[in-house]
Amino acid sequence: MTSTARLVWICGGLTVVLIVVALGSLLVGAAAVPPRAVFDLIAGRGPVGGTDRTVVLSIRLPRIAAAVLAGGALAVAGAGFQALTRNPLAEPSILGVSGGAAFGVVLAQVSGLRQGVVDALGLTAFGFVGAVAAGLAVYLIASSGVGLPVHTLLLAGVIVGIFFSASITVLISIVDANRLGGVIYWLLGSVAPIPPGQLAIFTLATAVGVWLVLGQARALNLLALGEEGATELGVDALGLKRRIFLGAALLTGTVVAFVGPIGFVGLIVPQAFRMLLGPDNRVLVPAALLGGGVFLLAADTLARTVVAPAELSVGVLTAFCGAPVFIWLLRSRVARVAP
Amino acid sequence: MISLIAALAFLALVPASAWGLDVVDQVGRTVKLSAPPQRIVSLDPSVTEVLYAIGAHDLLVGVTDFCDYPPEARRKPHVGDMLSPNLETLVTLKPDLVVATREGNRKETFDQLERLGIAVYLVDPVTVRDVLKLMMDLGELTSHRDGAAAVIRDLERRIAAVQERVADRPRPRVLYVLWPEPLVVPGRGALVTELITLAGGASVTADQGQGYPRLSLEAAVGRKPEVIILARHGSRGGATAREQWQRLESMPAVKSGRLYTADGDLMHRYGPRMVVGLETLARLIHPEAFGQPAAATRGAAR
Amino acid sequence: MTALAEFRGVSFAYPHGAGGRPPFQLRELSFTLELGEVLGLIGPNAAGKTTVIRLLSRVLQPSSGTIVIDGQPATALDRAAVARRIAVVPQDVPQGFPYTVEQLVLMGRFPHAPARFFESRADLSIAREAMALTGVEALAAEPLERLSGGERQRVVLARALAQQPRILVLDEPTAHLDLRYQAECVALLRRLHRDEGLSILLVSHDLNLAAEVSDRLLLLAGGKAVTSGPPHEVLQEPVLEAVYGCRVVVDKHPATRRPTVSVVWPEGR
Repeated sequence: MTSTARLVWICGGLTVVLIVVALGSLLVGAAAVPPRAVFDLIAGRGPVGGTDRTVVLSIRLPRIAAAVLAGGALAVAGAGFQALTRNPLAEPSILGVSGGAAFGVVLAQVSGLRQGVVDALGLTAFGFVGAVAAGLAVYLIASSGVGLPVHTLLLAGVIVGIFFSASITVLISIVDANRLGGVIYWLLGSVAPIPPGQLAIFTLATAVGVWLVLGQARALNLLALGEEGATELGVDALGLKRRIFLGAALLTGTVVAFVGPIGFVGLIVPQAFRMLLGPDNRVLVPAALLGGGVFLLAADTLARTVVAPAELSVGVLTAFCGAPVFIWLLRSRVARVAP
Repeated sequence: MISLIAALAFLALVPASAWGLDVVDQVGRTVKLSAPPQRIVSLDPSVTEVLYAIGAHDLLVGVTDFCDYPPEARRKPHVGDMLSPNLETLVTLKPDLVVATREGNRKETFDQLERLGIAVYLVDPVTVRDVLKLMMDLGELTSHRDGAAAVIRDLERRIAAVQERVADRPRPRVLYVLWPEPLVVPGRGALVTELITLAGGASVTADQGQGYPRLSLEAAVGRKPEVIILARHGSRGGATAREQWQRLESMPAVKSGRLYTADGDLMHRYGPRMVVGLETLARLIHPEAFGQPAAATRGAAR
Repeated sequence: MTALAEFRGVSFAYPHGAGGRPPFQLRELSFTLELGEVLGLIGPNAAGKTTVIRLLSRVLQPSSGTIVIDGQPATALDRAAVARRIAVVPQDVPQGFPYTVEQLVLMGRFPHAPARFFESRADLSIAREAMALTGVEALAAEPLERLSGGERQRVVLARALAQQPRILVLDEPTAHLDLRYQAECVALLRRLHRDEGLSILLVSHDLNLAAEVSDRLLLLAGGKAVTSGPPHEVLQEPVLEAVYGCRVVVDKHPATRRPTVSVVWPEGR
């Protein structure tokens, strides 16, 4: 089977899974909407008004879209970053960018600018600004005269992340006790329905980030030979590193700005697919995009149904669901490759 | 026949806006309603208490998990907690108005509700006067003006009674502990601060900051409070906090045995029970004004 | 004979020296690699041999001087163009390299069409040919970590061949190989040189291997060219003792009659 055919099969299969999970997610929720009504509404038929329509099309559907986008974006960012740093433990949050985005949002929530600036721009804009600031800081710190050494990039990312984390802690410690609940809630990460305008921006930003990473997928493979080895094969290593960093930072910052910090997805989804499909980034990145969407969507659907009408934080579920699956994958692989 | 004509004439005379209600909520936002609300969801326990007090609880179709007073309120359908009420459940209740606070609920929730076409009315009382106005505003909104007025009259009477009893008495320094660790105290703009003043005390943290700021234990001790009141939240926060504070013997309050606990819900909720909170505080701060010696009020006060 | 690659007065200094010494330099190095020859680059540690490879493959840029590849100045060629002409065979792949043999060999096709997402059918058949040439066709689907040192050697060589270069650069090809694999490596190189007409730049510590395989030797020391020429001319005792700082005996190989260099091991007094 040619590579192209294999890619098409894998993406096709994952798309089918995604559609099935999305349909399942549309059918469940705190409000009991009969399946027939759900199908009618999706098909464009169904009552014009009514709570069923609101629930399915204005609450569940946008939330599903947000979860799929966020999961896919995080997984692609993770895949790119892991390939760039040749480190399987690299997670998008290590880039430092999510710390900056989180700081931006918390600052907006905590500061006295309740009306005016914050309302007009929305928390998302503050998240973006924070992400850009952090990304720039990491890039500038890590750029030496001759290039962008990967280990410096990792260190810079970790340090910038720690800095913003500490700053958030400072903000939390001085904030009014009343506001604290909202801030903490946001920091746990939660997927909420996003209005169409913002969803469009989210989609666009994700598309750009994915394109930046996927476009370099073949060169990323060559990076496994080491930067020198890749350069000897004609790869522009510096340009590659810049593009991957930019793509991963854009994806991560976008997700945090819109949905809050969600961990674990960017670490285990690419890892799991690497174990199942092999290390070729040309297959891995598209699979991560779709698989990440499925994973986060499944986790979020559980989060909002398991203890309905209350909700669990989705970050809790990604950890609880992801960890056992990952351990199983790891152990079965270790058993196969045993000396 | 005549009554029908009279009714029609009345309708003709009433300005159109009275039926397309545009009300301004306590935060200054304009809330558009097409008719007086018939199905209200309350996202704040204080608002729930007020609606019951003014007799508008028939209009209440949804409450949060924390709306526990009066006890009947617990039987209303729940929409979740204050930070993340379940949108689906809320929508299914078909409310025409959601009443919420700026503090305690999240802006994201209001935005989501408005996008779903549900009107949101925000309350944000800071002073005692604000709370009374809140009751009047909700009374107007729910067409229970008379019920509201009656409640307000009663509350004003009781507030005046307390003020009379403690008038002309020296104001002891009072430390109110919202939460012992980290130490959270009421500052400017906290309802409790005003209640303490009305109750004849002087809160040592009145200038500390907006809302409910943190304070270091040293600073608290340094202000030498003569009365310490520890807030009880639910069934927690009582015994262990008292032991810790009992050990700080340098404080005048501990020396004279004036370390009390009180029900936090009475002091922080923006409802009619705030006056019970005021009366409680007054009894703790000036027991002699209520015919009780200081020592007898040691221990948990209700 | 046309020069396939040429260094003209190339100088180079690393930006930061190690441990207080002045940064390493290549000083005014000039040499040529002729079409169809095997040039052996020898010299002590830190003589600049690896630097020469890096300069040739455009990993590093010279501080001054010109490098000419296939008649064109290296600066006029982009990285992919250089990679189509020069293939560097490393000693091994990095630790934990996750790809299979075939995937690695296919990487050698990158410089020919960097913009392609997947390799073409033609790429696949060229890769297969390269694997056949080095005898690793049967291992195509094996992950590299499972192979022995000798097998991996042949795989990285196949990757270089897949690049269809005019110059093959070998960096210490027998460094970690036992005798058998060293012999196999020499046989393979000779076959490639003879049958495929490849010009080879061989960097090696092993003077005897270099002497055996090379048409010419270039002796480097301290960043400068000391001498160059056929092996029996370059491998003279006085020169070697001066450059390496130890006593040596130069003899003739009993079977092949090529020069052999043996160290006179000190007594240790």
